[in-house]
Amino acid sequence: MNNLLSAFIGALIAVMIMINGTLSNAFGNYTSTVIIHIIGLLSMIFVLLLSRSNLKIVKGIPLYFYSAGAIGVFTVLFNNLSFSKLGVSITLALGLLGQSLSSIIIDHFGLMGMKVIKFQKRKLFGLILITLGILVMTIF
Amino acid sequence: MFYISISVIAGVSVVVSRIINSNLAKIIGIFQGTFFNYVIGLVFSLMFLFISKETIQISNLQSKSIPLWAYLGGLVGVLVIVLSSYVTPKISAFYLTLLIFIGQLFFGIIIDFFTLEKLSLGKIIGGILVLSGLAYNLMLDKKQELT
Repeated sequence: MNNLLSAFIGALIAVMIMINGTLSNAFGNYTSTVIIHIIGLLSMIFVLLLSRSNLKIVKGIPLYFYSAGAIGVFTVLFNNLSFSKLGVSITLALGLLGQSLSSIIIDHFGLMGMKVIKFQKRKLFGLILITLGILVMTIF
Repeated sequence: MFYISISVIAGVSVVVSRIINSNLAKIIGIFQGTFFNYVIGLVFSLMFLFISKETIQISNLQSKSIPLWAYLGGLVGVLVIVLSSYVTPKISAFYLTLLIFIGQLFFGIIIDFFTLEKLSLGKIIGGILVLSGLAYNLMLDKKQELT
């Protein structure tokens, strides 16, 4: 079930990229990022009101816990910079490399509160297939 | 080399922000966490817009050439972050990365097929390779759980 949900998130991201790309073509990268965040924030306020969730400031949470939104904007900035020089497919492939390596390292050491899932050598075969697949996609 | 590095860092940042978000969600709730994600994100995107000196073309706001759905990406994004915060603590970071990628890839192929009417053979073959590699490793995990 969690696996299916994860793949569904990916499908949503594909739709989102298509939609945001259309907006970005009309307004430019930075203006559209602002518009996207305004719409997102408004819909989130709507969800909070609808679900009657209370929004209280919990004390003692480290500041970096709130940094995900900022990191997301840096992701967009870095991708924009790289798209213009390296093209879409190379940027995506390198981004996927960064995602894969960092998640393997995070799993292996259980960083940032994640469960420790040690990397096993016998999984290398699967990893080679995955790398090969990404290469095929990037080249063709 | 600079552009290669920032592409890789962009990938790392995707995983890191996902985990940070889910950690915040565990403390203050998934909806509340997503709310702060957008508050901080809006502040930073306004800052970047200011620094970039990109001109806001108000004329585009009135133009009919942009369909209404083009403005709804933020809405889809909210759904993505809510669901990610829910599922991140439940499965390994690496599998989540791969499963999201596979969903994105195959749905992207379907979108391309219907909007551009073209089918990318390289993406399909590559996607099947990625999928089989993931399936193989998932199988190893299943076996280990049983023993």
